[in-house]
Amino acid sequence: MSVIYGLIPGMILLGLVSVLVFFWAVRNGQYDDMEGPAHRILDDDDMDNKQDKDDRAS
Amino acid sequence: MDGEQRLFCCSGCLNVCRVIHEAGLDSFYQRLQEREATMAPPPDAPSDIDQYDLPEVQQEFVHSLADGSMQAHLMVDGIHCAACVWLIEKALGGMPGIIRAEVNLVHHRLALQWQPEILALSQIMQRLAALGYAAIPFNLDNAEGKLRDQNRRLLFRMGFAGFGAMNIMWISIALYAGSFSGINIEDRHFFQWVSCAIATPVLFYSGGPILISAMRSLRWVSLGMDLPIAIGAVATYTYSLWQTMQGGEHVYFDTVVSFLFIILVGRYLEALARRNASSATLRLLELQPRMATRFTENGEERVAVRKLAAGDRLRVRPGDKIPADGILIEGESHIDESMLTGESRPVHKHIGNSLACGTVNGEGSLTMRVEKTGSDTILARIIHLVEYAQGSKARVQRLADRIVPWFVGITLLLSSLTFLYWVQADFDVALLAATAVLIITCPCALGLATPMAIAVGTGVAARYGVLVRNGEALEGLSDISHVVLDKTGTLTEGRMRVTDIQALSERNRLLQLAGAVERHFSHPLATAICAAVEADGLTFPSSSKPQLLAGLGVGARVETRDDSSEVWIGNRRLMHARGITVSEAMSEACERIESEMGVAVLVAADAELLGLLRIEDQLREGAADLIKEISRQGMGITLLTGDSAAAAGHLQHILSAQIAKPIRVIADVLPEDKVREIELLQEAGERVLMAGDGINDAPALAQADISIAMGHGTDVSMECSDIVLMGSDVGKIPWALALGKQTLKTIRQNLVLSLAYNIILVPAAMAAWVTPVFAALAMPLSSLLVIGNAILIRRHMQHMRST
Repeated sequence: MSVIYGLIPGMILLGLVSVLVFFWAVRNGQYDDMEGPAHRILDDDDMDNKQDKDDRAS
Repeated sequence: MDGEQRLFCCSGCLNVCRVIHEAGLDSFYQRLQEREATMAPPPDAPSDIDQYDLPEVQQEFVHSLADGSMQAHLMVDGIHCAACVWLIEKALGGMPGIIRAEVNLVHHRLALQWQPEILALSQIMQRLAALGYAAIPFNLDNAEGKLRDQNRRLLFRMGFAGFGAMNIMWISIALYAGSFSGINIEDRHFFQWVSCAIATPVLFYSGGPILISAMRSLRWVSLGMDLPIAIGAVATYTYSLWQTMQGGEHVYFDTVVSFLFIILVGRYLEALARRNASSATLRLLELQPRMATRFTENGEERVAVRKLAAGDRLRVRPGDKIPADGILIEGESHIDESMLTGESRPVHKHIGNSLACGTVNGEGSLTMRVEKTGSDTILARIIHLVEYAQGSKARVQRLADRIVPWFVGITLLLSSLTFLYWVQADFDVALLAATAVLIITCPCALGLATPMAIAVGTGVAARYGVLVRNGEALEGLSDISHVVLDKTGTLTEGRMRVTDIQALSERNRLLQLAGAVERHFSHPLATAICAAVEADGLTFPSSSKPQLLAGLGVGARVETRDDSSEVWIGNRRLMHARGITVSEAMSEACERIESEMGVAVLVAADAELLGLLRIEDQLREGAADLIKEISRQGMGITLLTGDSAAAAGHLQHILSAQIAKPIRVIADVLPEDKVREIELLQEAGERVLMAGDGINDAPALAQADISIAMGHGTDVSMECSDIVLMGSDVGKIPWALALGKQTLKTIRQNLVLSLAYNIILVPAAMAAWVTPVFAALAMPLSSLLVIGNAILIRRHMQHMRST
């Protein structure tokens, strides 16, 4: 059981790191717009495809 | 366009398309078709964009950065979907001098950073306007910025509680397993202390605001919802701490943490929904032009609007906003007064007529004399009305709020009675029993009863296209006794359409000739005729020399394949002036149309009358059913309109025919009349639901107990409302009312459930029968019951939809 005395502080440390990452993310505005970015990632792909098509056409 | 011929409804759309095409962004149309079939027409571009380059105007919202670039936030009207975001970002990002352009889809904000030496702000805004988006700079440091900070702090607290809840669960699993299969005393002790170490910061950091507000409510003896939450959490925490120090067997740190986490999640979701609440008046303020052109002895000068004084003479160019209230002293024009009246039809103004600040000038160049400025203008009065109504509006009193004070009082009383009774026997038992009472009544279920029901109700509504902006409104919907409806844009479609064509000869020729002339004009009647031509798949013959006869009609020379003719379109007075004979039958038809609130437009070619078009703003599909349904439910109906009494009377006639109870119709109302009408109803003891869509409805929407805005309407009206109908389907209003009733019913059931739980278990706790393990099992059970019952709302509403 003595292994637990090392594991539990380790767990809390990991948890604290994740909290810090979360705080950083909030402060950075990651949670300000919950919808736009989800679409944005698709948009850039689309545009590349379109350009490819244009390139091939020309 | 790409070698293909395309048709556009107006030159505005053509320009937008040209800009998009030139920027190489054609795939916008592709993605538009994929994502969204319907789109409202873009808002009019402000004509006075250049004012935003003046330093005195800029200092209000632009920040200079260290590297010489400028930063500003713009509020963008007309963002519908992700395609808009894409279009704006790509179109602006491609301009030289732009460092950053980021659109926030949820809030319709554009964050801009640019180099002022390369690019002026007005050029950026011009570009946006060319794309069809009206942008208004705004200052982030005001109330909205504060609100955002508050929400972030709430998110921090929720995230921290979530972290605590996740970690403490691991330890609790070890403890629960230990209590069944045996555990070392030292290990148990260690686990308990670790739990305590996690729970303590969660209680004081995440639960901090709740504790503070509970303390405040104790001091002022006003028992709010925070008090039982705080008592439950603190009592459970103190008991667990005491047990830990005593070396006792059972602790409930995990309960404290998860409870706080769930409460905070609920509060965060609620805060998200009302994030934009404060900006309605801000948007209204932005309707006010900032600059005006003033006549002086030696010519004209551009001045800031706030420097204007009564008596100044101003020039108003076509398309400009009127900068102050005043009198027209030279020229004539049509003025778009939809801001005041809600009517989309521009009003013809001539010398001596009054002009209102913020309304938009049409085709003529005008000279006006300023009468009132600043806070005396009609627009300023609307802003004031909205602020006043928002401030004075009584909050919907939640059912739970009414019960909580009693609940807290009784709990405290019972707990102290228990302590007093047992203390005679044994102090330890007394303390345990008293705490057990507090923990058992731990108002998880009570605290969750309302938020859960509202969260589920809001979710069901969103899926059905009804956006609930204010959760409390759902509860308030159930006791509405009077419904006030705005006419234009709410009951009717809010735009003109050709509904009938009476041709004396060939129908298509009539339509084509009319379209060819009207293509030169942007009046709503012209737009309606052009739309009708396109809807029939006809082409526009070429035309030249368009003329406008104010108050009469329009004309042009139209060249078709076979001939060329002088075409005139307008009212009977125009035909008379042109010497064209209008037969008796036609004259009668015109009169009938006009008496039925339509517009009769006569079309003539080369002194020969071709026929007439009936153009009107039609009732929305479902409007008649809505009236029927509302009156069936026994609610009163009032119809408000900025339109003339004659038109309103006709509408009353159509609608009243459907139902037994008469509808009250009040015509010619100004924004303040609408508010007063609602206040009068409220004073008479009615609970008022208001549905509207325009800027002129905003004060009334803010004043009503519950308000519903149309999804296609102005942003200002949506921000003043509790509920927004996406797709503007008024037929959903009865559905929303039913949802409100169902939600309230569920809240009642939940409260009964959680109170029943207390009535059964509290006596047991008072008798010191409740063992800690039993309490730990019973507590989550009550919460689960409440949550499960709330989820049933979805099933009830689905049932209702299918019937």
